[in-house]
Amino acid sequence: MTDARVVFVVDDDPSVRSSLKFLLSTVGLQVESFDSADTFLSKKPASVPSCLVLDVRLPGLSGIDIQRELAARNIHIPIIFLTGHGDIPMSVRAMKAGAVEFLTKPVRDQDLLDAVRIALEQDRTRREQEKEVTDLQQRFDLLTSREQQVISMLVSGMLNKQIAAQLGTAESTVKVQRSRAMEKMHAQSLVDLARMIEKLKGPLQKPS
Amino acid sequence: MTTEAQGAQTVDPLDLRNLIETMPTPAVCALPDGSVEFVNREFQEYTACPTQQLDRWVWQTTIHPDDAAKFIDELSTTLDGIKPFHTEARIRRADGQYRWFSIRKALAVAASLSRESFLRTLIACEDIDERKRGEAKLQQGDGLLQVFFENSPNLVFVKDLHGRYLYANRQFKKAFHIPGVVRGKTDDELFSAEQAAAFQSVDRQVLETGQLMKFEDVARYEDGLHTRIVQKFPLRNAEGEIYAIGGVVTDITDRKREESVLRYSEENHRLVVETAPDAVISIDERGAILFANPATLRIFGHDPTELIGKPLTILMPEFLRKVHEKGFTRYLTTGQRHINWQGTELTGLQKDGREFPIEVSFGELSRDGHKVFTGFIRDISERKQAEDKLRASERTLRELTETIPQMLWSAEADGLINYCNQRVLDYTGLSADQIRGAGWMKSVHQDDIEKLGHAWTAAVSTGEPFQYEFRCRRTADNRYRWCVSSALPLRDREGRVIKWFGSVVDLHDWKEAQQALQMTQTELARVSRLTTMGELAASIAHEVNQPLTAVTNNSSACLRLLAAGNLQPEILRRALEEIVADGNRASAVVARIRGFIKKEPAEKNRLNINDVIQEVLALADRELYENRVRLERQLTKALPLVSADRVQMQQVLLNLIMNGIESMAAVTNRPRSLCMQSRIDDSGVVLVAVRDSGTGLSSEAHRLFTPFFTTKANGMGMGLSISRSLVESHGGRLWAEPNSPHGAVFCFTLPESGGSAS
Repeated sequence: MTDARVVFVVDDDPSVRSSLKFLLSTVGLQVESFDSADTFLSKKPASVPSCLVLDVRLPGLSGIDIQRELAARNIHIPIIFLTGHGDIPMSVRAMKAGAVEFLTKPVRDQDLLDAVRIALEQDRTRREQEKEVTDLQQRFDLLTSREQQVISMLVSGMLNKQIAAQLGTAESTVKVQRSRAMEKMHAQSLVDLARMIEKLKGPLQKPS
Repeated sequence: MTTEAQGAQTVDPLDLRNLIETMPTPAVCALPDGSVEFVNREFQEYTACPTQQLDRWVWQTTIHPDDAAKFIDELSTTLDGIKPFHTEARIRRADGQYRWFSIRKALAVAASLSRESFLRTLIACEDIDERKRGEAKLQQGDGLLQVFFENSPNLVFVKDLHGRYLYANRQFKKAFHIPGVVRGKTDDELFSAEQAAAFQSVDRQVLETGQLMKFEDVARYEDGLHTRIVQKFPLRNAEGEIYAIGGVVTDITDRKREESVLRYSEENHRLVVETAPDAVISIDERGAILFANPATLRIFGHDPTELIGKPLTILMPEFLRKVHEKGFTRYLTTGQRHINWQGTELTGLQKDGREFPIEVSFGELSRDGHKVFTGFIRDISERKQAEDKLRASERTLRELTETIPQMLWSAEADGLINYCNQRVLDYTGLSADQIRGAGWMKSVHQDDIEKLGHAWTAAVSTGEPFQYEFRCRRTADNRYRWCVSSALPLRDREGRVIKWFGSVVDLHDWKEAQQALQMTQTELARVSRLTTMGELAASIAHEVNQPLTAVTNNSSACLRLLAAGNLQPEILRRALEEIVADGNRASAVVARIRGFIKKEPAEKNRLNINDVIQEVLALADRELYENRVRLERQLTKALPLVSADRVQMQQVLLNLIMNGIESMAAVTNRPRSLCMQSRIDDSGVVLVAVRDSGTGLSSEAHRLFTPFFTTKANGMGMGLSISRSLVESHGGRLWAEPNSPHGAVFCFTLPESGGSAS
């Protein structure tokens, strides 16, 4: 585990906030606490792996409201819900919306710490994946549009000859463009390239 | 004799000689110097003086030497004019005896026929010797008269013509407080100018008229007003001439007073008889009517004047006449009365033949040896009717009290029972005699006797209406049953209690039903409280869980540090402090809830409603917080205490607050605010209001308090209904009205218990 991690705690009760901070600090976690949804949302999203420990019942926007709001803002932070009252429909909704864990107060310390560890790991993984895609995209963006065309067709299983015929060029030209693109994408093999394009597909398929 | 001759007349001197002869008394004709020109025969005969060569100063020889000088001196100074002249002197008779004469100027004549103009005066001499002698005789009796006058109770005085007192008796001096001598003094000297003028005015009248003046005079004395009769009269001499004024003053104050008393009494009697509402009729010994007053007309229809002389029996119906005559005769002969003379009820006969009830009283008195009977007769038709009516209504009342399906009783002003109806006897199994006085206590449960006795004694001593619930033994099943007795005092015109009327009602069944209902209501209220609690459950769980969470977290963190050998005492201390604080916090919440849902019968205490409001707000705090409701408190300090059950009041308040919060759930375009108010309303009772800014009262607002009416998706519809019955069981009122500009206000009132919250 690397050092830069942060746990955000949102609870309107000061003693709950401070006790959570104390508990999390015993495992070396850095904690930032907020007394309401608004104060948390007005903060800049974290750039390091982080998670959110959120009380369901809050004055103003509730915990569920925060979850929805974060999703709307395209902020992907793993959320661990704490609730004082076992409310099954609410927990189902929260879990469906991607909550890491739904814990009832008072919470067992190990349960919370485990959930926090999982959430942080999740966030770290997400962040790593996000970073890989971003790198590939940057390399992909360096390709000429003909090179991009060529490798897309290549990954979809077309032969050089078929590509040249479709593009109306010589097969030798396709070969040059293919090897230049492989080099630019740092692809070791065609399989490697195909995996890279697969990863990029997600963002590529998105409209924006 | 009374010749008035003060003015000079012109007469022939010759005629004077004839004239003088006609005078019946001795007379002379005098010259202005007093000398005598001629005398008449009477004079000559009396004195036997020579007529020829008359001594012109015949006075010298005829007047008594003791009187002569004075006489001649007076005469000579008065004859030379028209002054009157009157004196008394002794004149010697021919036999040498002197007799007293009144000598006066009778006529003055200016003779003009003779060449020399001269004045002649005829002087008449009247023999007054006998009167003089009488006066002398009187003089001898003067001492006696003096004593008489001095001791007279009347005021006696004599004044001369000049107003000088010649005599005033001792009573006079006493009455007017004159210490010194009165004789010789005038009224001016003795009395005030005003009084003197009044006296003198009367004196003048006496002198002018020569008559007795008699009048009443009222004067203020030291002991009050005195009425006196004053009589003043002229004192005349032998000639009838006035020479003095006599006066007698008689004090008639006492008689006057007696007279006025008598007059008043007579007047009064007359008035009483004339205006009496009763007929007053007098009869003589024969039974004939002597007198009848005006009321007789109204009562008997007979004109009182027509009745005079008629027999009294005319006013009686046939059947009484014989009886009357017999009784009357018997009384006259034996003095034995056949009827009561004071207020006997008889029958009267009207002129038109109608018979009617009368009440007669008699009186008897003797006049000139004859007996006169006077009767006072009153028409008692109306009274009779009223009595009959009263008897009838008493009978009806008695029947009513005996047949009415209620236990009734009455008591004397002192609180002792003097009557109870058959129902009471049936119920208690006691006899009327056993119940009388304080005997009714025998049927009262021994635990209630003392308090009931106190309550009744208090009512009797204050005159306040009485009401008390107690257990009374019913003889039918020999069980004690709850009864309520009520009584009201009957007062006389002055407001004094003269009697108490009361009832007893067996309300045992009712009371049992009431108690069952009470229990049902209490249970229902509790169920409703639990429901409200259910609605609050999420908030409450959160409130309990928050401190528990903090406790758990802090403890876990400490354990971890301990396990890692890394627990610093300072950190541990801080953690434990927080744990204690949070533990207390949690238990406070639990205590509040437990109090609220406890199953306990209602118990009224003196409360400050503001305290209850604060407790409820603590319960609802989280709910308000989470629903983003802004709370405003407008609590009036120093409210009077109310007598109320704390939990029930919490329930009402919590119900109203929860309703308010819920009504604002849908409100997003304006602040959600809830305002808690407490104050004293216009009628002086404590008023609590819960204002919200929610959706307000619907068109079905009038059904708000109906059981099972609800506008909530999962409401039971009992909250407001129960709240209202709780408030009403406290003697208060609960109602809703629209709030301005949004929402609703729910208000309830509670009567104060007396005393004020500090």
